[in-house]
Amino acid sequence: MSLNAYRAYGLSIHTDLICPELPRHPHPIHDPDVTITLLPRQEDTYYLLADCRCEVQPDCCQVDVAGVARYRVEEGQRILIQPVPDASPEKVRLFLLGSAMGALLYQRGLLPLHGSAVMSQWGGVVFVGPQGSGKSTLAAEFHRRGYKLLSDDVCAIESTPKGLRILPALAQLRLRADAYQQTGPPPEAYFDVDKFAVPMGEKYCSQPAPLRAIHILSDEGAEYPRFEIVRGLDRVRCLFENLYRPHFLVGQRTQNDLVRLAGQIAQRATLATVTRRRDTTATADLVRFLEFTWTERFGSSLNERRVS
Amino acid sequence: MSHFAPEDRLSRTAGLLSTELDQETVLMSIDAGAYYGLPGVARRIWEKLENPTSFSELVDCLEREYRVSREACVSDVEKFLAEMEREGLLRVE
Repeated sequence: MSLNAYRAYGLSIHTDLICPELPRHPHPIHDPDVTITLLPRQEDTYYLLADCRCEVQPDCCQVDVAGVARYRVEEGQRILIQPVPDASPEKVRLFLLGSAMGALLYQRGLLPLHGSAVMSQWGGVVFVGPQGSGKSTLAAEFHRRGYKLLSDDVCAIESTPKGLRILPALAQLRLRADAYQQTGPPPEAYFDVDKFAVPMGEKYCSQPAPLRAIHILSDEGAEYPRFEIVRGLDRVRCLFENLYRPHFLVGQRTQNDLVRLAGQIAQRATLATVTRRRDTTATADLVRFLEFTWTERFGSSLNERRVS
Repeated sequence: MSHFAPEDRLSRTAGLLSTELDQETVLMSIDAGAYYGLPGVARRIWEKLENPTSFSELVDCLEREYRVSREACVSDVEKFLAEMEREGLLRVE
């Protein structure tokens, strides 16, 4: 069995799967943080996996995805995949890097937000919001303008003695076909299951970044974009509403640590809602609006950065 | 007429999550999508309810800590506990 070594969410990962979505680990590893194992395909998994369901126990989470695979995630260290006989490898990886990885992050005490993160000169900014609110599209526009990206879709936050950090993960963006209505997909994009995958290439930030802000995107609102700081209890609400697979949280052994971490994030990061109407504000204009707002709020000179 | 008897055993409802934000304790019930901020005395009461406590014990303790009259203390604590009970945050036995 040949092992592939990858690095995502600050973890070294060994697996017999080939995952083009994951950044390669720079050197061989002997003692990986996580191993991902593909179990042999068995006929009887057909009837087992008629429904999507998940079961959370303190150190074991089992996720069934109908027609694809059963994923067992154990102790934040192992993912075992039992695919149904005719599942496509792309789909098996899609849910591995989505739900199964989400469960693993919870087990390890890392808080996964459902969103995409970009690196700004003030630190990492995470874009969260309901499905279709344009998180990945906005991240893609920052990417096009030369910003480095930390992750797409699932964004993990960890608490360290030096502060809160965003852990970089998949080095690709996943975008709906309509994100390219005007420009057409970039040449390096390829179609994967239901979306375009765009490798981040050189503009992938492979080092953890300090968490500066979380922006909740919303498509409603006035003609011009608006930026509003979230205050009080709503900060906690906003965070929990934007967790990745929130039903994985309750029942974890790490549950109380994770909830405490959410409180720290709510307190230390700048939480703000960003509302705009898509028909009146193009994504490129929203990027300029945010650059302007960040400069205004977070300061523009390097000196100010050092002080904060 | 009192809503709670002195010997009523009071404790937290199981399954609630809590964290600290600014000077408050934040309680949440993820399934119900409900969030509660407990500042000041409310926070202290929640702290006391970590282990089952009788109503009279709770009032004794708060009366001492906050140096208020027994009457005012009973009335305020009762109001707050009744509200907690309505919201499903309190277990009374």
